[in-house]
Amino acid sequence: SLSLSLSLKMAPTLPEYSKTVKPNYVKLGYQYIVNHFLSLLLVPILLSILTEVLRLGPDGLLDLWISLHFTPIQILCSSFFTLYIATLYLMSKRRTVYLVDYACFKPPSHLRAPFARILEHARMVLGSKSESLAFQYKIIERSGIGEETCVPPIMHYIPPEPNMQLAREEAEMVIFSAMDSLLKKTGLSAKDIDVLIVNCSLFSPTPSLSAMVINKYKMRSNIKSFNLSGMGCSAGLISIDLARDLLQVHPNSNAVVVSTEILTPNLYTGTERSMQLPNCLFRIGGAALLLSNRWSDSRRAKYRLSHIVRTHKGADDKAYRCVFEEEDPEGKVGISLSIDLMTIAARALKSNITAIGPLVLPASEQLLFLATLIGRKIFKNKWKPYIPDFKQALEHFCIHAGGRAVIDELQKNLQLSAEQVEASRMTLYRFGNTSSSSIWYELSYIEAKGRMKKGDRVWQIAFGSGFKCNSAVWKCNRNIKTPADGPWNDCIHKYPVDIPEVFTL
Amino acid sequence: LSLSLSLSTMVSTHVENPVYDVRLSSVVPGRVTGEDKVQELTNMDLMMKLHYIRGLYFFKSEAVQGLDIFDLKEPMFQWLDLYYPTSGRIRRQSENGRPFIKCNDGGVRIVEARCNKTLDEWLAMKDHSLDHQLLYNQILGPDLGFSPLVFIQFTWFKCGGFSVGLSWAHILGDIFSASTFINMWGQITAGHVSPQSLNMPNTRKYEFPPSTAKKPFSLKRVDPAGDYWLTANNCKMETHSFHVTAKQLNHILSKTFGLSKAANKFPPFEVLSALMWNSLAKIRGEFEPRIVTICNDNSQSRENDFSSNGQVISIVEADFTVMNANLLELAALIGEKRVDERRMIEELEERENGKSDFIMYGANLTFVNLEEANIYGLELKGQKPVFANYTIAGIGDEGVVLVLPGPEDSEHGDGGSNGRTLTVILPGNQISELKNELREKWGIF
Repeated sequence: SLSLSLSLKMAPTLPEYSKTVKPNYVKLGYQYIVNHFLSLLLVPILLSILTEVLRLGPDGLLDLWISLHFTPIQILCSSFFTLYIATLYLMSKRRTVYLVDYACFKPPSHLRAPFARILEHARMVLGSKSESLAFQYKIIERSGIGEETCVPPIMHYIPPEPNMQLAREEAEMVIFSAMDSLLKKTGLSAKDIDVLIVNCSLFSPTPSLSAMVINKYKMRSNIKSFNLSGMGCSAGLISIDLARDLLQVHPNSNAVVVSTEILTPNLYTGTERSMQLPNCLFRIGGAALLLSNRWSDSRRAKYRLSHIVRTHKGADDKAYRCVFEEEDPEGKVGISLSIDLMTIAARALKSNITAIGPLVLPASEQLLFLATLIGRKIFKNKWKPYIPDFKQALEHFCIHAGGRAVIDELQKNLQLSAEQVEASRMTLYRFGNTSSSSIWYELSYIEAKGRMKKGDRVWQIAFGSGFKCNSAVWKCNRNIKTPADGPWNDCIHKYPVDIPEVFTL
Repeated sequence: LSLSLSLSTMVSTHVENPVYDVRLSSVVPGRVTGEDKVQELTNMDLMMKLHYIRGLYFFKSEAVQGLDIFDLKEPMFQWLDLYYPTSGRIRRQSENGRPFIKCNDGGVRIVEARCNKTLDEWLAMKDHSLDHQLLYNQILGPDLGFSPLVFIQFTWFKCGGFSVGLSWAHILGDIFSASTFINMWGQITAGHVSPQSLNMPNTRKYEFPPSTAKKPFSLKRVDPAGDYWLTANNCKMETHSFHVTAKQLNHILSKTFGLSKAANKFPPFEVLSALMWNSLAKIRGEFEPRIVTICNDNSQSRENDFSSNGQVISIVEADFTVMNANLLELAALIGEKRVDERRMIEELEERENGKSDFIMYGANLTFVNLEEANIYGLELKGQKPVFANYTIAGIGDEGVVLVLPGPEDSEHGDGGSNGRTLTVILPGNQISELKNELREKWGIF
């Protein structure tokens, strides 16, 4: 049987990724020059024009004008032409999409699942000698998940016996709670919603969850509703992408996006090791967001959407199969994760970074990257690859809290500091892996800590089955006061906590 | 032992099984208790480890009208925040193997069941032999680290009536503690929130002068229990409850004291214990019990104190033939000649240091005074239980008699004193003889 050790192992300190204490003046100078190249170029030109104008004086300018011999027709045409170009430009410009506000579901404390209870129940259902039990024990020990995470009501039973009614009840609890909170925060009336997108990967009843929301809140009959299912943990950003595209087509509209994952129908009751991980890491959670392209919201919106980049590696067979829902040899349905998951994730991340780099990185970093790339080609990989410093471009990072390994891997790949991944680690600890909504809990953490300032840029990265890596960059639109409500409001003062490497029971 | 085995021992193999549709779940404290929080166990606690308290409360359907399982569970999270050691699990210290409670939020186990009889039918059965189906047969071990310390069973009867069965490991505390614990749940359900948390004294060892090295009479050594905390009996023990109405109680008291000035000198517990002692002595004949153990409440410091094993355990020795004695003599003996054995018990445990295991209840014929226990204090929707009862499991062969307050006697309107419930756990053959004796001599059923 399992031995129960009493000692608490001390956490090894995370390697320090933030580098030089002394600022590198050469590098700073280079960055300043390259990033502000155009303005630096413009200054001498403007100066010379100004000196010329001053030299000519008002009379000289009038003489210059008369000498051009413009007829009234020419003047009229050129003005119309200018106006036409300006209007064309303004109309074809992408509408700015604002994130007015968002609300996260705060699970009530009576759904709490402490480790002792999880393992005791697993023991009773699987038997004390079971190998899967020992495996689950190991996963939970090292998961980086804390003792306050919550699971839906049916999972407190021995054995859990889910049914469709209970799955709907969980969906109602999570989604309606987040929606109520969002409507209250934004003062939005349900009848005012133009687009509704709900994403929930593993529970897709008929009528859809979006229909459930429309029914509950009595929304308009001409609402544009969408329900995305099967798209994994990155579906939240896919929904935002869809909302953004719709808001380009429909002027003066808003869109509500609901991201959640319903756990009740998806408990895996078998013994396949590759299918155990989702059982141990997934927790109940959800978020509702309000997006808008209305000019009237531009003042009060919290963020504006800068970029969304979606990378899909599904063309590669291995990537396609690395997160796969199937029946195990006993006929029980579970989601199996392949051993190559981290490698494939790293590859997908690289593709995504390559796409998003040019959009967000300042010119200085891009030049360096290009130079290193050319150098590597010429000198046949003798040069080390240059990892662009994303900290130059982005102030905050929200890495989907898929698991401790995911956060560790990304921290290493992007060379992020402990503080930059703090939001992700603490969300994993406090709320577990809530799938597509976890990036919103993380954003909420950053706001609750008072770190979000106007002009700050946030990078949200999410991975999902398929295999997909999606990322979104938001720019903070106004100074955000520490919110009085929100999932962290009663406990933010306790964080950050030191998460032990191995949790002992 | 696997789960299915314990379930089958709980539900009897009687042909028609009245209790069905059993579901298990767990309830944990709402707040995180924190890592490495432990509750030390005193020597007295460890002496009680082989005993289990079972409390049963019956309610009419009005008490739970419109309440579903969630309404009953929801107040528990706050309740368990206050009593977080009850959600812990037993661990052993690595140096000496001494058990303690690790407050790891494992939770209390909740059992939900249905019964195909109505409440009135069940209570009319009178012999209470099926009551064990309304309670979980809790035993700590063989996996001590995964055995819940508290089980609560909710059973809905066919008519809408309801029972609450509390299974409580005696290592946590005595019947007074268990009763206070469950009453608090009722209060929180009603919305009477208790703001202050309870005192959680961490070390409750009291210092006393060096040992007298005398062996206490109230304990009996048993085979080492290891990690399976249950003692075996040599004969089959059965439970029965006798109901003594207020009128009958008065009759007994007056018959005992007569018109002498000794009237009301001894509280009903002592008179009733004397009565039972006398009756059992007659039944057992030459094996009559000369020494009995008396358990009384230590009423000094119960307010806001966490559960503890604070009972006063004494013995009484009769140097005369009990079956021929009159009740007044015996009551006087019980009332005045008790010898407090708690110190000897503590010292014995200290010396033994876990090498041997002991039982207290049933080592001698044991009388437990629960007159001060507020067992009718558990209220749901303002309703008191129609009947409340406590038994003890894991006792010795000599048997136990519990003197409990009786249900409120609404018919006789005598607001002053209620009757008593006498619950006995004795070898089966003695129970039938006892029933005859009490019925014929005292008119008690």
